[in-house]
Amino acid sequence: MDKIVGLITTNYGIKEMDLIAGERTLSSLPYGSRYRIIDFPLSNMVNSGINTVGIITPYKYRSIIDHIGTGSEWSLDRKRGGLFILPGSIFGVSNSESRFMIRDFELNITYLHRSPAPYVLVTAGSVVSNMDYTGLYEAHKKSGADITMVYNIAKEDDEYLCKIDDTDGKVNKVSVGVKEGDKEFLDCFIINREKLLDIVEWYQAVNFKDLFDAIEDEYDKIDVRLYEFAGYYGNVFSVKKYFRSCMDPLNLDINREIFNPDMPVLTKGHDTAPTKYNEGCKVKNSLIPAGCTISGTVEDSVLFRNVVVEEGAVIKNSIIMQKCVIKAGAVVENAIIDMKNVIQEGIVVKGSKESIYFKEKNDKWD
Amino acid sequence: MKKKECIAMLLAGGQGSRLGALTKKVAKPAVSFGGKYKIIDFSLSNCANSGIDTVGVLTQYRPFILNSYISSGKSWDLSGREGGIFILPPYATESGGQWYAGTADSVYQNIEFMDIYDSEYVLILSGDHLYSMNYQDMLREHINNNADLTVSVIPVEWKEATRFGIITSDEEGKIVKFTEKPKKPDSNLASMGIYIFKKKVLVKALIEDSKNENSSHDFGKNIIPKLLEEGKRLFCYQFNGFWRDVGTIPEYYDTNMSFLSHNPPFELDEVESQVMSNSNIYPPQYIGADSKLSSCIVSNACYVLGEAVHSVLSTGCYVGEGASVRDSILLPGARVEPGAVVRRAILGDNCVIESGVVIGSEDPEDEITVIGNNRVMKAK
Repeated sequence: MDKIVGLITTNYGIKEMDLIAGERTLSSLPYGSRYRIIDFPLSNMVNSGINTVGIITPYKYRSIIDHIGTGSEWSLDRKRGGLFILPGSIFGVSNSESRFMIRDFELNITYLHRSPAPYVLVTAGSVVSNMDYTGLYEAHKKSGADITMVYNIAKEDDEYLCKIDDTDGKVNKVSVGVKEGDKEFLDCFIINREKLLDIVEWYQAVNFKDLFDAIEDEYDKIDVRLYEFAGYYGNVFSVKKYFRSCMDPLNLDINREIFNPDMPVLTKGHDTAPTKYNEGCKVKNSLIPAGCTISGTVEDSVLFRNVVVEEGAVIKNSIIMQKCVIKAGAVVENAIIDMKNVIQEGIVVKGSKESIYFKEKNDKWD
Repeated sequence: MKKKECIAMLLAGGQGSRLGALTKKVAKPAVSFGGKYKIIDFSLSNCANSGIDTVGVLTQYRPFILNSYISSGKSWDLSGREGGIFILPPYATESGGQWYAGTADSVYQNIEFMDIYDSEYVLILSGDHLYSMNYQDMLREHINNNADLTVSVIPVEWKEATRFGIITSDEEGKIVKFTEKPKKPDSNLASMGIYIFKKKVLVKALIEDSKNENSSHDFGKNIIPKLLEEGKRLFCYQFNGFWRDVGTIPEYYDTNMSFLSHNPPFELDEVESQVMSNSNIYPPQYIGADSKLSSCIVSNACYVLGEAVHSVLSTGCYVGEGASVRDSILLPGARVEPGAVVRRAILGDNCVIESGVVIGSEDPEDEITVIGNNRVMKAK
């Protein structure tokens, strides 16, 4: 769709997730056995026909660039349009207040100026959903609004997501923190490009503010409307919520929605061999990618690439990230084991359902 | 253009008719293997892993799937600026043009292509063999021997020797005799259909062969005996790894199954010899709460809700609740609906076994059942 350019922001974090994220940003956290979270918004863009996409990178951008490369997996290595790696403003360790900082648009004003497209679709890189943006675009065009924000009805409280207040579909307030039943902003909106350029100019003096904070007193002048997304949305704004969202694709309805073959989630490809299930293994209700070797027990769990589960090892209700080895007789329960860990023979690693144990990655730069 | 030391000509035009239903619509190199691969992945990966960056792929029989699969060659890192993969089908000329009449003829018709790169050596390969081999070792031996032609050979069981082109060599490895399917073999070294020629010798032999009306234009039948007769320096290079030409259904079945063992014939995922493929991005496998999996290879996008034992499940297969698959190979997209039973069978791409249907026989004396691509086996 040459009417829209995409913009994905990946440069903000959540303090609570720093433990897990480490050097990674929320957007580059592993999800769904073989993906990084940014695969979802990026694939959504491509699947919706948007083939010019800018990615606003965080200060520590290695994990994002390493993953996305030239964008060839998303067919974004193009002559016309394609992938643009863009600078982002440097936040502190974490910044939960600002997601769409005026300064980030200002930094990339050239990208926005050069594009001939009338609309800009902006999304956070940390939204787990399989969404066709065509519906949002149609609704936005039809209403003639300046900005259309994507929301759903909150199923639970969340201190990081934003609540949207509206009168008859016209937004008049956006505030941090939602309660169950509120309209919760899914960190995704479409905006007329000219209007975005205007806003960046008007609010230069307060460019440290989030776009929706900057315009808070002017909802009578800027026409901001709503678009409901009723599909699956996976929240990753706390360890508990991230864990739960990772487990969600074990539900086959959610699994088929987010892994819809007509809207494929694309990611960096690897030449991993298929997974080998040896005699005597016991695997139940689990999500497993290629490249694993499984001789032990795996139940209600999500494994990542190249995990080895030796004979007699037991994994229950856990997430085991790439290149981990769970040795014979080891037990892992209610835990997230980050990359390249070896759980030695007979060791028991246990969290509880209420408090998930997290073992940080064992990166030896091999 | 910078002169290349060695380029490869990969023969991928054959049907592989003995694979029956599996090659009805696709050329043998494009047949799926080992869960996520196609047969041609093995020789293309060998090229890439051996630093051979220019590969001509000679296609003829039903090339569409093969061509689209090979695409730009990027999947095997064979899309460099000064080389890459070139698909070479038969073509028309001012005097009419013709189909490839044999393995040697197909290379003969592409002498112009070889001239572009004008390499010192040409490696001739088959796109339908399964093995992991570094061609550099063979090339070094070829150069050290100052050979005109080096034939890669593999020791086979003596009783099997009657099925192959058998090489008899002297102590230095110089070939003294080449016999196609000998009744009484005097050697057990079989030709693997992998040749390295000095390019000049190859071109001369091909041109002469093309003028011989009695020739069937085949490397094994015509070119090698001719060079031997002319007293050229022919050497053999002994390969001691695993190699199969998976020409028949039982061979295809057994070779697939051998990857289920604790000691597979070769590793698919070693850094130095990784088998690469042009795979789409697929979601992970989902293994259901009431499933039973044992001794299986399973690829991405599979949903296993029933039982799968001692089987290969390729990309995007589905085994429904209460369904049972044993000793079978499911090719990409095959569906075994709830309650269906599959025994010692090969299910073609995207075929469907409906609920209640029983396919195949457990009796090892019976032939392997093969269900062709896209077939739907309905309940009676």
